[in-house]
Amino acid sequence: MTLFELSLRNARRQAKDYMVYFATVAMAAALLYSFNGLVFSREINTLSKSMSTLPLVIVLASIVVVCIFGWLVAYAIRFMLLRRGREIGTYLLIGLENKQVARLFFLENLAVGGCALLLGIALGGLLYQAFRAIVLTLFGLPYTFSLAFSFPALGMTVLYFSLIYLFALCRSRKYIRKAKIHDLIYLDRVNEDSAIRRSKKRRLLFSFSIALGAAGTCLLMAGGAIFGIIGAGCVIAFLFGFFLCFSSAVPDFFDKRPARKYRGQNLLVFRTLTAKLATMGVLMAVISILFTATFISEGAGLVFRGLFAGRAAENACFDLYIGTDSDKPLSQDYLDYIRENIPVERELRYSVFQGKDSRIMDYVESGGEDYYRYFGRDPVLRYSDYAALRAIAGYPPAELNSGEYLIHCWPYLEKHLADYTQPISLGKASLTPGGVYTEHLLQNYDTGNGARYILVVPDGAAEGLSVIHHAYAAKTDQPVTEVQFYDLYSIQEEQKPAQSGYDAIHAESQEQADAAAWTALTVFPLFFLALALTMTAATILTIQQLSESERYRRQFGLLQKLGMDRREMAKILRNQFAIYYTMPAVPPVLIGVPVILHMACSAEPGVLVGMNSPGSIITISLGIFFLIYGIYILLAYTSLKRNVLPA
Amino acid sequence: MLQVQNIEKYYGGKNHVTKALDRVSFDVDAGEFLAIMGASGSGKTTLLNCISTIDTISAGNILLDGVSIADLSEEELAKFRRERLGFVFQDFNLLDTLTIEENIGLALSLNRQDPKTVQSQVREVAQKLGITGILPKFPYQVSGGQKQRAACARAMVAGQSLLLADEPTGALDSKASKNLLEIMSTMNQEMGATILMVTHDAYSASYARRVLFLKDGRVFNELLRGDRGRPVFYHEILDVLAALGGDVSDVI
Repeated sequence: MTLFELSLRNARRQAKDYMVYFATVAMAAALLYSFNGLVFSREINTLSKSMSTLPLVIVLASIVVVCIFGWLVAYAIRFMLLRRGREIGTYLLIGLENKQVARLFFLENLAVGGCALLLGIALGGLLYQAFRAIVLTLFGLPYTFSLAFSFPALGMTVLYFSLIYLFALCRSRKYIRKAKIHDLIYLDRVNEDSAIRRSKKRRLLFSFSIALGAAGTCLLMAGGAIFGIIGAGCVIAFLFGFFLCFSSAVPDFFDKRPARKYRGQNLLVFRTLTAKLATMGVLMAVISILFTATFISEGAGLVFRGLFAGRAAENACFDLYIGTDSDKPLSQDYLDYIRENIPVERELRYSVFQGKDSRIMDYVESGGEDYYRYFGRDPVLRYSDYAALRAIAGYPPAELNSGEYLIHCWPYLEKHLADYTQPISLGKASLTPGGVYTEHLLQNYDTGNGARYILVVPDGAAEGLSVIHHAYAAKTDQPVTEVQFYDLYSIQEEQKPAQSGYDAIHAESQEQADAAAWTALTVFPLFFLALALTMTAATILTIQQLSESERYRRQFGLLQKLGMDRREMAKILRNQFAIYYTMPAVPPVLIGVPVILHMACSAEPGVLVGMNSPGSIITISLGIFFLIYGIYILLAYTSLKRNVLPA
Repeated sequence: MLQVQNIEKYYGGKNHVTKALDRVSFDVDAGEFLAIMGASGSGKTTLLNCISTIDTISAGNILLDGVSIADLSEEELAKFRRERLGFVFQDFNLLDTLTIEENIGLALSLNRQDPKTVQSQVREVAQKLGITGILPKFPYQVSGGQKQRAACARAMVAGQSLLLADEPTGALDSKASKNLLEIMSTMNQEMGATILMVTHDAYSASYARRVLFLKDGRVFNELLRGDRGRPVFYHEILDVLAALGGDVSDVI
């Protein structure tokens, strides 16, 4: 048998023994290929101007992802090398030279990596189609399946993969070339670094780390940048302290309480766990941090998506809207351009006024609602203008009875403002509340139709009020094109020196395209990272767990002889599994939930609602995270149960 | 206490059948110390596995206190093993993640003993077997002899009525072997433990009160110690082994 044949045979065995690792590496190739497909896709990058930055963003994210997968591959190859020390030592013993063995190991890993790469690229082609469908849906464009193969994407994927594998393999090659036969043969008998250790210091550190964890979580919940950074630092310190000292503190706890130790399955479950954690405390802490980063990446992605969608929904209520920054009249240049270039079905030029006082604004603030005062007094709109705006936006008419006023506000203020029963006075008129409406009406900032709310009053009552700013809204025959939008934008740029601020220009088509582009630019890289992080951490946990199959088999074989029935053994295995996989996932939830909540609450109020509300974002982030994690847990559990429990 | 009646055990399929046990019959009385000897492949371990319910018999009957173990369900077998049988193996079979005390206490824990009394019961047995000092240690921190004594303690701590030992001295040096065998004798004579020991070591077998010799899956001979001293019994065992012929090189 030649060296090459031996390498191939070993590669086959390795792929079988470490199926989870192989599948993850193949998925890594699929992810890299599909995201690179987006980088090199003309169709995707020319969807809008903003999308031209997508390649740069994906390449930057890919570099981080390559580092993450590089760490995984380096870890797994090193792990397998240590496990196979006796076999590699035997090769040396029968006369192979160190460099030949190094080449053998190099070749077989290259074969495994090569197969994973091929499989991954095939999968990546399908995954790319899924990403393409998502992007096109975001832009509201129809998707048709087309099997396209991208050579540049393939080239980039091969390059990234080469970097990942060469780094890991050079390290192991160096190790094998210098290794002594004796060291290799007895490698699997060497005690791992920290066997069960006990000391007062470690137990104290364990208690201290738990206190730090609690303090860190409180600080994160408190919000604010400084508290957040200190809190995150405390939680990271807690993770290392907790996992490094767990194996000392838990046995100590049970030693003082023997009755608890011997109750039910405690003895077997906790001893197995502490033995495992005694040698992988640092790794568990790192995995926990990776999970935290995953969870926060997913949450941040969803916050951004919600933010862009929420803002776009508000800003895109009119086909075209221009609002001046001050009480200066709307530039004639805009109107001339529109007349010449944009066919309009219906249009309105109008003004937003300010009332006599700020009693509604004071009321909004007094109710504890999150509100920023853009104006000194309550903003007011004439009823005729309001009715016309509703018609332009396509909303049903709103009635206003004589002697009444309406409030149009964002949904989050609706309940509070509906409770307002006080009349308002405008000049001689005294008006009573006539109803609250909450459709989108471009009420984001001071250049819109009020900020978060506006009072709608009879035309006569608005006479004599001072103007906050002027505005224009239109329903166009065709959606405003990107070129038309930027032409209008350049008119504003030309006028800029003469004015104190920017006019607001919004077109429905452009708002939606921008939201789609920004969603793609932020959510894709964040989820790319999140996927890479979850897969890496879950794979390492699973490799560690499955490598213990032989020990588990011995343990359950003995327990069977001692009279434990299979159902009870399965229960113990399940409990050991549950605790092993839950432990590194708890701190990320403790840290991630307040951080994501904080991020979500930093957005302007009322934007993140419905499926994008902070609660939904946290639920969805947790759901995605535990779905991927759950797949790995299920794979490991079924494999271990099949292999270790006696028939 | 134990009745083995005409048991047979076959391995293999249609084309290739191996007969591991061939109509083996014997009884073990309560409080007896019985050794089963034979060369490699003679069927000793198969016999022990069948008695311990780890393996099933192809024909015949095994009765423990009049109850046929073939009639027991899987759950009843598990209960039977944890309540009635104690095991001592050649490779100790202690769980390396548990301390010696926990390894012994595991048997009580499996028997659902009151957790509050486990520690005191373990200490009581440990004291009898002289291993109190190593209770807080892990298996990798103690010698082979100490591990085997811990295994003996586990095999009797829950009040098991039959102790099954498979080559208990196989991995021990001569001094540790002697020590263990004396402890087993003490367990038998002073604590009333019934012991069934499988061995190919004549010296170990000489500690028993009766020795059964197996050859090719059949009972070849039986030797009773009676009132003879152990050294005399040892030489008698060697004589029988010599009569076993070509296989004598496999036994000591």
